[in-house]
Amino acid sequence: MNCIIIIEMGTDAVRVFAFDLSGNLISSSKGHYPTFHEQPDHSEQDPEQMFITMLYILKNLLNEKIYPKKYTVTCICFGSSMHSLLAVDKDGIPLGNAITWADNRGKKEAAELKQSSLGEEIYKATGTPIHPMSSLIKIAWMKNHEPEKFKQAQKFMPIKSYIIQQLTGACVIDYSIASATGLMNIHKLTWDEAALEFAGITPQELPDLHPVFYSGVTLKKEYQRVLKLSPTVKILIGSSDGCLATLGAGVWENSMATITIEDSGAFRIIGDKIIEDPKQQIFNYLLTDKHIITGGPTSNGGVIFNWFAKQFGDFREAFDIDQSMEMLIEEAAGVEVGSGGLIFLPFLHGERAPIWNPNSRGCYFGVNIRHERKHFIRATIEGILYEMYSIGRTLEKHRHIESLSINGSFASIPFCTQIIADLFNKPVSTLNHADSIGKGAFLLSATEMGIYPSLEEASKTVTMHQTYLPNAENHKVYAQYFKVFESLITKVADEFDAISDLQQRYSQ
Amino acid sequence: MIDLQQHTLYPGDFALVLPGQRIGGETGILNIGALFGLKISAEDCGKILLGKWSGLTKKEKLSINQILLVNKQQLVLKLKEAQVLMHNLQLELQNEEVGFYTRVNQLLDELFVLVSRQLIRQNNSRRDFPQTFLKLEQTLRQNLAHQWTVEEMAALTGMGTTAFTEKVKNYSGFSPLNYLINIRITEATKLLKKNEVNVTDIALSTGFYSSQHFSTTFKKLTGYTPSEFRKK
Repeated sequence: MNCIIIIEMGTDAVRVFAFDLSGNLISSSKGHYPTFHEQPDHSEQDPEQMFITMLYILKNLLNEKIYPKKYTVTCICFGSSMHSLLAVDKDGIPLGNAITWADNRGKKEAAELKQSSLGEEIYKATGTPIHPMSSLIKIAWMKNHEPEKFKQAQKFMPIKSYIIQQLTGACVIDYSIASATGLMNIHKLTWDEAALEFAGITPQELPDLHPVFYSGVTLKKEYQRVLKLSPTVKILIGSSDGCLATLGAGVWENSMATITIEDSGAFRIIGDKIIEDPKQQIFNYLLTDKHIITGGPTSNGGVIFNWFAKQFGDFREAFDIDQSMEMLIEEAAGVEVGSGGLIFLPFLHGERAPIWNPNSRGCYFGVNIRHERKHFIRATIEGILYEMYSIGRTLEKHRHIESLSINGSFASIPFCTQIIADLFNKPVSTLNHADSIGKGAFLLSATEMGIYPSLEEASKTVTMHQTYLPNAENHKVYAQYFKVFESLITKVADEFDAISDLQQRYSQ
Repeated sequence: MIDLQQHTLYPGDFALVLPGQRIGGETGILNIGALFGLKISAEDCGKILLGKWSGLTKKEKLSINQILLVNKQQLVLKLKEAQVLMHNLQLELQNEEVGFYTRVNQLLDELFVLVSRQLIRQNNSRRDFPQTFLKLEQTLRQNLAHQWTVEEMAALTGMGTTAFTEKVKNYSGFSPLNYLINIRITEATKLLKKNEVNVTDIALSTGFYSSQHFSTTFKKLTGYTPSEFRKK
C-alpha cells in the first residue's frame, strides 16, 4: 500500500503526518523545538535543531508506524510557518539562528517604510503588509544593524528552504512561502526589484522560485538509506501553513471563509484574484498563481488566554495549565454575554491585522465595582474573538461571506466556536479532521499525483463535523459592545506608542 | 555584595555563597545588622559541595549540587524556615552537648535540602511547563559534556522522574534522554560544520562516551559518519 508523508515545520514543533492515498490519516507524530528570546523583541530558533528534530521524528514514524504496516512512501510534501529568515554563508552554513515570524526587531525599519510611497508600492507588488514579520524588513534590519553578518551572508532563506536544502542539496522556495516574504512580486511571479533594492540584496541571494507542485529535487543518498526510502520518492516542495490550512478547511466556495486560532490566528478567504486594499490591512498569499489566499493575521490568539491562565488560573486544584484553562472556560460560561460590559483589548503581543501596530498593548476597559474575577475571564476570551471579528469585517468589505469554517485549538473550544457564530451572526462549522494543515498538504499532494483532477475537487472532499448556529439575541448584544471595541483600538493609537516607548525605556 | 551583585537582606532572608564566589561590602565592610553566618569548607576542591559529613545519598548530593550551581546567580532566598535551622545550629555549636556532631550534620543536610527545594519552587511554577522546559534545555546546553541522568534532569525541574518523563514526552514528543541526544547531535552538527575541532573532541564535548559512540549515533540518524558529514 502506498502512502504520502507530510512534514510541517510549525512555529513550535515539527509535525509529521502519514496519509493513505484515500486521505485517511495513518499516523502522526510531533517533535518540539524551542524558541529563544535573547532580547525582548527577538524571537529565534536553532536551524540545526529543527533539522535534527525533523529527521528524528520522521525516521521514528517511518520505522515504528509506517513500515511495520507494510506501507510504501511515494511522496513527501512540505509545509511550514511563514516569515522565518535564515542567513547562510558561502558554504551554506547558518550565520546564527533563524528569525521567526514573531520577531519585532525591525519595528523602526517597518514604520519608516510603511509611511513612504515606496512602502505602498512594495505592498501592492508583494501582497505582504509592511511589518517586522516579513523577510524584507528582517534583511533590511540586518543590513543596518549587523553589517558584518549581512556582508558574510551569501543566501537568505526561510527555514523550510534550509530543511529542503539539507535533505536534497537544492536551494528552492515555493510561491506560498515566497509570497509571504515581502520580496516576491505576486503579479509577475518573480522577485520584486524595488523590494530587493530596499533590502539591499540581489535575486542570486535568494532561493529559486517554484510553484507549490514543484518536485524537481531528490533526496540525498544518505537520507534515502537511513530513512529506507526509494530514490523515486517524489519530493514535493509544498506550501505554507496558512495556505494549506485554508485548502484543508474546505472553503473553496466564494461565500465561505475560514478562521484559524491557535496561539496566533488568521481570517482567510480564497479566490482567483488578488484583492487590493488601499489601507494595506490585508495580505495576499499565493497557493498557486490562480488561487490567492487573502486575509488578516492576529498575533493574539490562544496565547493570550494561555497568559491569562498562567497569571490568574486556579492551580490549587488543577494539575497543569490545560486543566486550569478548562476550569476557566467553565467559569466564563456562567457569565452573561458581553461580560457585564467589560471589554478587553488583547494586544499583548502588539497587533497585526487590522491595525498593524507593533506598539499596541492590552487593556481592560469599562471595569466597574460589580465586576468579579469571572467577568475578567470571559472578557479575555471575548476580547480575543472581538479582534478576530474585527479582522473578518475588514475582509467583508471586499467579499460577501455567508458561512465560516474554523480550526485551531482555541477556536475549536465549543464555547469559543459559539461566540464566533454569535459575533459574526453566521453559521460556523467545525471540521472532521483535527489538523487542517496536514489535510491541506495531503490534498495538494494527491492533486499533484492525479488522484484529484484539481485543487477545487480535492477541497470538496473536506467534510464538516458540526455546525454552530448564531443566536440573534446574543449577536445584538455583541454588536453593540463591538462598536466600543472597534473605536477604542483606533482612538488610543498615540497612547499605545507612548506606553510602549515607556515600557521599553523603564522595564527590565 | 555577592559576586559584584548587591543584595539587601531582610529578616527571614537567607544567602548562600558558593566556593569561588566572593562576598564582601562595597566599601570593604558589610553593612551588618545581625546575621547568622556559617562557613563550610569544601573537600574535593569544591567539586561536590556536600562532603563526607553529609548523610545524603550520592545521587541526592549530585542533584543538590546541580541545583545550586545552576542557580548561583540567585542564592538569596526568602526562607523563614532557615532561620530556625540556623538558630538550632548555633545552639548546637555553642553548647557542644552530647551527639552535637551528628546533630549539626543533620541540620546542615536539612538546610541544603530546604534551600534546594525552595530554589526549584521559585523557578518552576507548574503554571508554566514550557518555561521550565526551556530553562532545562538551556542548562543542558551549557553543560552537554555532563552525563545527565533522568533523575538529575527531573530534579532540576522539581518533579519526580515518572511525572517528569511523562510531561516531557507529552510536550516535546521525545523521552528526556532522546531529547538530550537530539541536542547533542544538534550541537555536534554545528561543530562539525565549523571545521575547527577534531571529531573526538566534538564527541566528548557534546556528551558522547567516545568518538565511536558519537559516530554510531550520528550515522544512525543522519546516514553520514561524522567525518563523511564534514567532507560533504
